Amino acid sequence: MKTVSRRQTIWLGGAAAVLVAGGVGGRMLLRKRYAPTPYDDLIALVHDRDAAAQIGETVLAEVEDFEPIARAVSLRSRIAGRPLAVALTEDAAKGRLVEGGGWVLPETLGLICALAAKAAG
Amino acid sequence: MGAFIDARTVPSGTTVHADVAIVGGGPAGITLALALANSKLKVVLLESGGMTFDAKTQSLYQGSKIGAPYVTLEASRLRYLGGSSNHWGGWCRPLDAVDFEERDWMPYSGWPITKADLDRHFVKAHEMCEAGTLYYDAAAKITGGIGKPLALGPGGITTRWFQFSKMRSSVLPTHFGERYAGDLKKVSRLSVYLWANVTRLGLNPSGTYVRQLDVATLDGRKFNVKAKACVLAAGAIEVARLLLASNDIVKAGTGNAHDMVGRFFADHPVPRDNAVLVLFGGEPAPFYLGNQTTHGAILRAGLFPSEKFRRDHEVMASSITVEGKVELDALGKAAVATTANALGVDAANASYHSLGCGMEVTPDPDRRLTLTDERDALGMRKLKLHMRIASQDFDKYRLTLKELGRQLIESRIGMVKLNLRTRDEWYASLDWGNHHMGTTRMSADPKNGVVDANLRVHNVVNLYVAGSSVFPTYGAANPTVNLLALVLRLAEHLKEELP
Ligand SMILES: Cc1cc2nc3c(=O)[nH]c(=O)nc-3n(C[C@H](O)[C@H](O)[C@H](O)COP(=O)(O)OP(=O)(O)OC[C@H]3O[C@@H](n4cnc5c(N)ncnc54)[C@H](O)[C@@H]3O)c2cc1C
Repeated sequence: MKTVSRRQTIWLGGAAAVLVAGGVGGRMLLRKRYAPTPYDDLIALVHDRDAAAQIGETVLAEVEDFEPIARAVSLRSRIAGRPLAVALTEDAAKGRLVEGGGWVLPETLGLICALAAKAAG
Repeated sequence: MGAFIDARTVPSGTTVHADVAIVGGGPAGITLALALANSKLKVVLLESGGMTFDAKTQSLYQGSKIGAPYVTLEASRLRYLGGSSNHWGGWCRPLDAVDFEERDWMPYSGWPITKADLDRHFVKAHEMCEAGTLYYDAAAKITGGIGKPLALGPGGITTRWFQFSKMRSSVLPTHFGERYAGDLKKVSRLSVYLWANVTRLGLNPSGTYVRQLDVATLDGRKFNVKAKACVLAAGAIEVARLLLASNDIVKAGTGNAHDMVGRFFADHPVPRDNAVLVLFGGEPAPFYLGNQTTHGAILRAGLFPSEKFRRDHEVMASSITVEGKVELDALGKAAVATTANALGVDAANASYHSLGCGMEVTPDPDRRLTLTDERDALGMRKLKLHMRIASQDFDKYRLTLKELGRQLIESRIGMVKLNLRTRDEWYASLDWGNHHMGTTRMSADPKNGVVDANLRVHNVVNLYVAGSSVFPTYGAANPTVNLLALVLRLAEHLKEELP
């Protein structure tokens, strides 16, 4: 039976470590990186940032004078720490809607998506 | 026994005498003739066509059109006994009370009668359409076994109902000619002349009384009818043509002293696939998607702006229908997943359906029919339609759709995508209800319309109009059951008026 030398063992061990990094930790490493923005807390409220950015592009086409920082401030005070769903149904109740590519969205969600689009550059 | 007479056998020069002469044997003319059956009145019904389609007769309906895309004048009507009911869809729904009201935000609105003046006639009108018991907005009570209406939160859009004319194998739905020919034959004091085209209303020299109706057949016979009362029931396009073309005494045309005949032509635009309805929880109840038969009625639900929403937001009537399934593109999938997730709702089984609708248009005096110098086979001048739709009509309907989207989100059950925005987009999706209306509008003041509250042509004492041409505004309800209610009211009036 062929024996495995110490040197080989070290090499295999290193390979295993690379495999682990590529399989699990690698996902972290390969994950799309976004430059930090002052409104990441708001973007984090939606479950899929890329989808949000896609919607946000269409919202930006509808909204005039979109200034991200100022929007973020007013969105935070509108959400006021409540669950996002509550803020969105309140938007609908108050008739605060925005369109994106024809989709009628609660304004808060549409604007968060617009922030995601801005963040995506 | 009443008689069906082939006008091509009537010797030229004959004068036929009657108490009431009805011009046109569509739903309006047939219903009026049957409603007068229990009176002592001698009635003559003059119908241009025969019992079935005839190409030469149909070509008398030819005309031209300019402006917004629209159906040809010949294709949107049928010219034989039963009229356009020979190809109607059988959708029924009474107008709403608000449709009759004068609204300061809706130009030219306001009927000289109210919905209450018509209400008692709807049962009979419905019976004529063979549309069963009137349920309409009480239908939710009898459709529980089929499904539940959408749980829309408070707001402007509510589920309301259409009913349908009875479907059967040979007559589908009620074709008034075929269905009621037997009943017409049973009326002893009624004569139905087939192949009889009225070509002129012959007025007395002062233009205040119809002395005779000139009748012509396509094979060259000419005779006339003298009646105490004449009722034009030839459909909203042809009634205007008859009035305008009868201009030997009053140069502008009969009943047209104020240049109102032929103006305000209207139809219901039917923009296809104008929006997408997403329901996070799955399919809507079957009664939104197609007709359901229950409790002796055929029903379908639609989504309608409430009367309050219409008043508050100054929007016209519309009836939104849920149509076939659609696929979403990548943006749509992102929008649904993101919105549902943000609302805390599971959209794994979401359904996606196209929305259709019937829209009301703003009354427009320049959407009108005028005579041209071209003539048909009987020598009558043909019509030209100038079709127009105001951009604000589309905008207002869009506002209504947006309200639906708002309510769906508030109640966390779905969302809406608006497919159309520019005029070109609306035009490209445009179909029509073929609901011709408005050309001889009802008005209290002769300056603003053609007929009075009793459907009598202003200043012509024995001339009446029966049909949707008298609607001053149009609502979004299908016209036939409503025009029949008006016809039944006219029948009562004629029985009182004529000794
Ligand atoms: C494709 C289509 C689908 C429709 N679907 C619906 C629906 O689902 N629900 C609804 O409510 N409505 C519907 N309509 C409209 C409906 O058909 C009309 O409201 C209805 O037929 C009007 O009845 P009327 O008697 O006033 O006129 P018409 O049906 O037009 O009848 C007029 C009659 O007058 C005769 N006539 C015309 N000129 C002369 C003349 N000079 N002399 C003698 N006779 C003459 C014609 O031959 C005809 O028989 C539809 C119409 C079309 C075309």
